[in-house]
Amino acid sequence: MSQLLKVTDLCKSFAGQGVVKSVSFDVNESTTLGIVGESGSGKTSLVRSILRAIDPDSGSVRYNSREGWQNLNELSAKALLPLRREIQMIFQDPFASLNPRMTVQAILEEPLIIHGLGDKSWRKQRVAEILEKVQLDASSASRFPHAFSGGQRQRVGIARALILEPRLVVCDESVSALDVSVQAQILDLLASLQSELGLTYLFVAHDLRVVREFCDDVLVMYAGSIVEQGPVAEIFENPQHDYTRLLLSAIPSPDPDEKLEPLDREGLLLE
Amino acid sequence: MSELRELSPSRLAWLRFRRHRLAILAACFLVVLYTLAAFCEFISPYTPEQRNVRAINAPPMDIRFVDAQGQFHFRPFVYDLKLTINPDTWMREYEEDSSTPYPLRFFAKGVPYELWGLVPAERHLFSVDPRGPGYIHWFGTDSLGRDMFSRVLYGARVSLSIGIVGVGLTLFLGILLGGFAGYLGGIVDSVVQRITEVLQSIPTLPLWMALSAALPTAWSPITTYFGVTLILSLFGWTTLARQVRGRFLAMREEDFVVAARLLGANDSRVIFRHMLPSFSSHIITTATLAVPAMMLGETALSFLGIGLRAPVVSWGVLLQQAQNYQVIVMTPWLLLPGAFIVVTVIAFNLLGDGLRDAADPYSSLSEK
Repeated sequence: MSQLLKVTDLCKSFAGQGVVKSVSFDVNESTTLGIVGESGSGKTSLVRSILRAIDPDSGSVRYNSREGWQNLNELSAKALLPLRREIQMIFQDPFASLNPRMTVQAILEEPLIIHGLGDKSWRKQRVAEILEKVQLDASSASRFPHAFSGGQRQRVGIARALILEPRLVVCDESVSALDVSVQAQILDLLASLQSELGLTYLFVAHDLRVVREFCDDVLVMYAGSIVEQGPVAEIFENPQHDYTRLLLSAIPSPDPDEKLEPLDREGLLLE
Repeated sequence: MSELRELSPSRLAWLRFRRHRLAILAACFLVVLYTLAAFCEFISPYTPEQRNVRAINAPPMDIRFVDAQGQFHFRPFVYDLKLTINPDTWMREYEEDSSTPYPLRFFAKGVPYELWGLVPAERHLFSVDPRGPGYIHWFGTDSLGRDMFSRVLYGARVSLSIGIVGVGLTLFLGILLGGFAGYLGGIVDSVVQRITEVLQSIPTLPLWMALSAALPTAWSPITTYFGVTLILSLFGWTTLARQVRGRFLAMREEDFVVAARLLGANDSRVIFRHMLPSFSSHIITTATLAVPAMMLGETALSFLGIGLRAPVVSWGVLLQQAQNYQVIVMTPWLLLPGAFIVVTVIAFNLLGDGLRDAADPYSSLSEK
């Protein structure tokens, strides 16, 4: 299995406050890396720095593109443009991430227009293909986002991310805004798309059950640093770090009689 | 099962706007007024400078269908006015002389004019045969015997267009500067913010007065017109710029804008396809509500004699004649331009209210 992404010593701070502190990790092709941690632990800043939605302060993000290894952190906005086709993002909020004034057709067509792909009829056909792939009706194309449910909108968001045939897809809490039954459908969809298209996912989440289900590897973040990383089975069965144990102890059980007893935060040495 | 139709956001906005009866009424009124102003040469029976020495300070004439004998005429007519000097007060008094009716003619040739200063023509919507002794002054005449109806219409053209042109300039400046400040942030933002604060802290009327007084009197009427418009809009853009900046700042972090940037969209695409459309309705509303302020500014300056000057005719210039209280007692019809200003300003405010409600996606679609 070849490596796709290699992040080394990535740092980002806002107003002098370190949010991502010297983070390093590797991602293999066609695998799913889960990134977990509590709110404010720097998960979102980390993936946004990788995507260059925000500019990181230092460190390197090397990406194995179709044209060979490139350091995303050093590229100008213009040089980054072809790589935008390969790295895409699925957002958390299915309501805020779609422009309410554009039809689904226009939303899905936009990436193709930006990258100058195909003519009008080809784009139309491509949109129909991708809608089918995310299991949406072809008639959805002429509708506006407000006519869809949350799960359907998230499918539109996935379609927008996939229409450029990316290799790396960043899912920033992509299912946490959906209710549980819809979450399962979306996760199934993401999994089947992964096996079909060979996608690599960076899966940011705070729901550990979802991560256990969906990811191959996991990376536990606390206060901007990685405290533990490894294969999902290993981390979940045999957590080494106190913080990971704390997180795992806070997973509610499906059995209503079983009382949730999270570990005492004060009693742990987190730093 | 009835078919479900998909309504676009703009269609929904129109449905919401339609519920606002007063706003619809105001919109219709403004359309009519702007049409009248656009074709004022054709609609008014005289030119604004034309004097009728036989009718100085004449009161508004009644347009009649029924004559003194109680007979109905299909063609409307006016009676001649007979001037008498009151021997006690020495006031001019006009009395209708029902022996000489002057029938109105429609689309007939009258005083020659040039439509929009370009197309020579001489037909008027209505007039009284100029070859005879008759005349028609629907809104009366002023102290020089000029037809008030014609002057109000010509004034409407200037006053109404100054609102639109001024707001256009304001919008341009406001969106440009506010957009730069909000999108680029940093030092550009600080500079624009400081300029805005300084401009907003200066009382407008004295500042307008100072700048207007600086306009050279030798300027042609058209240059003065643009000078005044420029002065009004140079100080009007600050509020809009603030709003645009705020929206840009908020929207820069909006998920769908970030999504567009991650797709590789360049700045102009992000701004014009994603950011501006999301608050274009807001801008339209603000602009509509800004038009009356602009018109009132012009009126105030002209009324004080430092805005537009005769021979330009605007509602403010017309009101200059009504500055003394004698007018109110003896020739109250000279206040008519004031009534037009009031009604137009109210209409713009109602329209702006309706647009604001229509632009708000959360306002109810149901009957109020």
